[in-house]
Amino acid sequence: MLLSGGVTCPPDTGDWISEPLRCVQRLYEISEALPGWEEKVIDFFQEKIQEKQSCWVPSLNDVPLHYLKPNSLVRFRCMVQDMFDPEYYMGVYETLDHSNNARALHLGKYRDVADCTPQQEVDINSSRTVTSERQTFYCVPVPGESSWVKEIYSSFSQARVSPSTSYIPNRHKRSYDEDEHSSSPTEQRIDVSGANIPKRQEIESQKKLQEMATASSAPLNLNFPLPEEKGPACLVKVYENWDSFKVNDLLEVYGVLSVEPILSTLNEDRDLLCAWLDPADSMDTLEEQRVHSPPTSLVPRIHAIIVQKLHHINPLIPNSVCETDESKQCMASFMAELSCTRSELLDFCTHVMLGDSLAAEYLIFHLISTVYARRDVLPLGKFALNLSGCPRNGIFTQQLYRVVQQLVPASHYLPMTIENMNRLRFIPQKDYTANRLLSGILQLSSHTSLLVDETLLEQGQLDTMGVRNVTALGNVITWQKVDYDFSYHQMEFPCNINVLITSEGRSLLPSDCQVSLKPELMPPDIEQYMGALLTAVLPSLLNKFRIYLSLLRLMDYSISEDVTKSVEDDFVDMRRDDPQSISADDLHRQLLVARLLSLSSGHRSLSRETWFKAKELESQRKNRLQDQKHFSGNEL
Amino acid sequence: MPRDYQAEKEKCKTFLQEFYKDDQFGKKHFKYGTQLTNIAHREQVALYIDLDDLAEEDPELVDAICENTRRYTALFADAVQELLPQYKEKDVVHKDSLDVYIEHRLMMEQRGRDPNETRDPHNQYPPELMRRFELYFKAPSSAKARVVRDVKADSIGKLVTVRGIVTRVTEVKPMMVVATYTCDQCGAETYQPIQSPTFMPLIMCPSKECQTKRSGGRLYLQTRGSKFVKFQELKIQEHSDQVPVGNIPRCMTVYVRGENTRLAQPGDHISITGIFLPMLRTGFRQVVQGLLSETYMEAHRIVKMNKTEDDELGTEELSEEELRQITEEDFYEKLAASIAPEIYGHEDVKKALLLLLVGGVDHSPRGMKIRGNINICLMGDPGVAKSQLLSYIDRLAPRSQYTTGRGSSGVGLTAAVMKDQVTGEMTLEGGALVLADQGVCCIDEFDKMMDSDRTAIHEVMEQQTISIAKAGIMTTLNARCSILAAANPAYGRYNPKKSIEQNIQLPAALLSRFDVLWLIQDKPDRENDLRLAQHITYVHQHSKQPPSQFQSLDMKLMRRYIMMCKRKQPAIPESLADYLTAAYVEMRKEARTNKDTTFTSARTLLSILRLSTALARLRLEDVVEKEDVNEAMRLMEMSKDSLLGDKGQTTRTQRPADVIFATIREMVPEKGARSVKYSEAEQRCVSKGFTPAQFEAALEEYEELNVWLVNQARTKITFV
Repeated sequence: MLLSGGVTCPPDTGDWISEPLRCVQRLYEISEALPGWEEKVIDFFQEKIQEKQSCWVPSLNDVPLHYLKPNSLVRFRCMVQDMFDPEYYMGVYETLDHSNNARALHLGKYRDVADCTPQQEVDINSSRTVTSERQTFYCVPVPGESSWVKEIYSSFSQARVSPSTSYIPNRHKRSYDEDEHSSSPTEQRIDVSGANIPKRQEIESQKKLQEMATASSAPLNLNFPLPEEKGPACLVKVYENWDSFKVNDLLEVYGVLSVEPILSTLNEDRDLLCAWLDPADSMDTLEEQRVHSPPTSLVPRIHAIIVQKLHHINPLIPNSVCETDESKQCMASFMAELSCTRSELLDFCTHVMLGDSLAAEYLIFHLISTVYARRDVLPLGKFALNLSGCPRNGIFTQQLYRVVQQLVPASHYLPMTIENMNRLRFIPQKDYTANRLLSGILQLSSHTSLLVDETLLEQGQLDTMGVRNVTALGNVITWQKVDYDFSYHQMEFPCNINVLITSEGRSLLPSDCQVSLKPELMPPDIEQYMGALLTAVLPSLLNKFRIYLSLLRLMDYSISEDVTKSVEDDFVDMRRDDPQSISADDLHRQLLVARLLSLSSGHRSLSRETWFKAKELESQRKNRLQDQKHFSGNEL
Repeated sequence: MPRDYQAEKEKCKTFLQEFYKDDQFGKKHFKYGTQLTNIAHREQVALYIDLDDLAEEDPELVDAICENTRRYTALFADAVQELLPQYKEKDVVHKDSLDVYIEHRLMMEQRGRDPNETRDPHNQYPPELMRRFELYFKAPSSAKARVVRDVKADSIGKLVTVRGIVTRVTEVKPMMVVATYTCDQCGAETYQPIQSPTFMPLIMCPSKECQTKRSGGRLYLQTRGSKFVKFQELKIQEHSDQVPVGNIPRCMTVYVRGENTRLAQPGDHISITGIFLPMLRTGFRQVVQGLLSETYMEAHRIVKMNKTEDDELGTEELSEEELRQITEEDFYEKLAASIAPEIYGHEDVKKALLLLLVGGVDHSPRGMKIRGNINICLMGDPGVAKSQLLSYIDRLAPRSQYTTGRGSSGVGLTAAVMKDQVTGEMTLEGGALVLADQGVCCIDEFDKMMDSDRTAIHEVMEQQTISIAKAGIMTTLNARCSILAAANPAYGRYNPKKSIEQNIQLPAALLSRFDVLWLIQDKPDRENDLRLAQHITYVHQHSKQPPSQFQSLDMKLMRRYIMMCKRKQPAIPESLADYLTAAYVEMRKEARTNKDTTFTSARTLLSILRLSTALARLRLEDVVEKEDVNEAMRLMEMSKDSLLGDKGQTTRTQRPADVIFATIREMVPEKGARSVKYSEAEQRCVSKGFTPAQFEAALEEYEELNVWLVNQARTKITFV
């Protein structure tokens, strides 16, 4: 790490991407190790990223790990799945050169392994060592992230890729098929560029092969919340205000990639030997070591320089609404054509709902709903929708999911079969032997759409696990919280998941609102029908829908005093006329529908007309449920 | 300024020798002196030094110890070692081989050798080897227990106290403290004190003899001559209430040696005092770990804590401030209103629930057990927040179980006999009712339960036990829990024309076991509706609770107050017995005449007793007063009224004044003067659920009508 003479590189020549550590060292030297140099480093990188150069930084989400240069700057869009205990590291350490007894100070920040030449040795007992603390987060890619989100993000970085960095252009040609046969492209790569990177790749790919061989015996559980998830998991080391991050937060991390193979779990034989000789280590069971220091080729480490909390993962709108001019512009243009978008979307949803426009309205409400506040324990703004009267075979729900996936940034489809309920882990659970939080399906980030398909449910026996899972699902719907299982106690984690349940009759799960589907048309092949619907929508229009749905969630809303007054009077009158017609819960729901209706048409406050329109919608919906009851009652 | 550790050691010595406390006879009790004697006689192993004691003598030394604990542990140990011969009063029988070794070594040292001869440090006896005691510090009581999260790098080397829950313990293993070798050439013993988890064994003999001869003597490890200590490793994790929202609890590794081992099991709540230290890695590991250093805690003192009482509720008594906050004028209303503040209205139901949490006093006259726990059944139309009330109570009660009738069978509620898959042994598994022992069991959808399952509850509700006679296991388990049930009416809505059994479809045997049955109905009422609407719209408008007249009490404070109440055992004074009997007789009479839909049986009297003792507890009094009984009867009356429900509306509306008149008229004795005592009349009316104000109003009204006369002193009501 010593800067040998002459190689002083100005930090603005792009080397901040390929050699961020050198930049850090330089900044450290410039500020002469005075306190405050750390802020300077962050400011420097912040500035770089703000200058619209963030797209130059390769992203772990779309670039396979073995194409990335170690110790280069990368970014990663992820969710915090677990938090490990804080680590103490040597922020500044001293080395002793055996050949000439020269002592030198080095920076230990943003790195895993001391940087020493063979003659040098770290002097552990040096008084100049500075011990600092950092926090490790286990991060996974955003669970249930829709493919369009991934594509748009990767197209951003693709479009403005740096031509000077030799390894990037190649990846695009292969990024699609490299997963299938990873060895052949790497061999080709060696021929193309003779730099020192390929060597590492070669080693890496061999290592990977080896690991695959060993993995077959005991595969490393990467601990994704959703079972079919793919992508790299990452250990993110956070150096500054880690207290502000919570589990399930979405993060955009810019940091130094570290893939030191030495960090991987040691050879198991040696481990056993160590455990034998070393009683201190017997505590860290093999599982724990496997989990906390997994092979870097599978779980790379990122030393985060900048960590941003993401409020949403929709790539079509800027992260912070109403802060920059750009986002204001975006907002304004969106508001201008909002009503047009709404009618288009309503039209589209009506088709999806097989011609049922009422269900389409409620579907839109559901998609733009979000928990905007919590009063004591009661979450406000949640709108779990139960779509009853769905065709039995589940094809409709699957196709509905296909559409929802195209509209929202993150979603998950849960077939609610007896087997799934009994078998899958819904609630995250602490595994004390491995000392980590085993993820479960309900560990989802905010604004994720969860589509529960109850039409697949058959009669059968739920076991203990099944009962717990159903309860957990119910808790998510009513309280928007998940009780994580820490075996000695439970801990409550608030969540914000939009739950949509499709069922034949009334769902066995609670819901905020039940809409009975009344199909106008019944296409013989639903799959084909939905496929045609999706292809018929122009991509630009689809993008408008996406912006519409994500942006409305972030809008604020208010009710004026006089509208409140009239709502109250209205309620009292209704109660007087027919006490059974409306209860406190109904009023809650009505106010919520009114809120969503106003927002969906771009109004930030409730008007009297909207209130009556919401009432109208609610009574339509209720009448339909009544009819349904009578109908089925007659049938019996 | 470098410390003079030799001087510090002298201080330690004087402290150990001279510290004393006056015992109850005014004699000097040398706390540490006696312990030193015990240690010298090998009757005690661990010596705990209470830093509070030390603080009396030398506060500065305490600070120094807390800052640099490890060094002072060694200093104190040396001091003790040097003092021990002085305290030895008799010869000690050797307990194990190490004692023999030590004695031999001491003899060898005294014999023959020239004391001035300088010796290789390896051949000297390391102090650890000769030591047969362990020295620990007890943190000063002024030091607060910390959260794992707050123990950071700046605490390294210091004495800290943390609290947590044990998640993992290893087996106890011997750990080598001093390795002893013998040379195969010269026979000299070599010692190697070991501080780190790993060590490099010595191979070549360092003794002078071998060195000069160049005989190349090899060293062999002597297991019997080496010293080992018990060693155990713990992992503790933060308590759930110490973790900020949305964070994962942190863990900490704890090394436990010697006498402190085997004190904790996984799941125990403990408080550990110890030194926070960095872990030393050597050899290959150090290279691998790179720049990282791990930390651990070297335990000095482990105290097991009782979770429910000490930790969750806080050990300290309620402070003056908090007590004042609770015991204000209208504390009863305030406490009741603090139950489920998000649910609007239902004051009397909440009062009943508050009494359920506090519970009445258990009686066991001559072996017969009469439960003090109050059982409540809430009935009501769908969607009147029954379940919310239940789940709030579930959260508020320190110990509670929540089940739904649909989801639980009789076995799940009581206890089940399970066969262990591996061993084939039968084991008992407690169900919700057993697990809720000394707490509350909330059962939602009580009516949806199968009849056969429901019968399992009968025993629990009256006898508070569960008897099992299954598969060779015959036992009785305690299930001293209050049952809070919620049920829906059988026909969707409550039909006041039918009896309760018909409405709820529960057997009378079960219903009579509930002290209070409450029907929550959703009745339209303009004023109430408007307030409800304002409440809800406010929430939606401002996304927070509307500001109300009172600040609802904090859940933790409530819990602690309820715990405090539960410690009281109020008794019913003799003077109240007559009053109670009279009231009971009256209730029976009324039940006969009114063709009441509820029962009035001996159980009702017990219920009133329970409610009144609970009320007395709530006031933190030791004696039940008349007001308590009145309030209990009022609650019973209100609950009955709620069952009669709509009757008032559908039939003739009876004004309170009319009812009061009727009540008083009934009290007129058949013979003699047609007059009633004012105080008696008032009591009777209040017990029927009327307020004194209503009583006054009725009196005035009928006086104007010239039906009766009230005398000047307002002691007598005379009918005209």
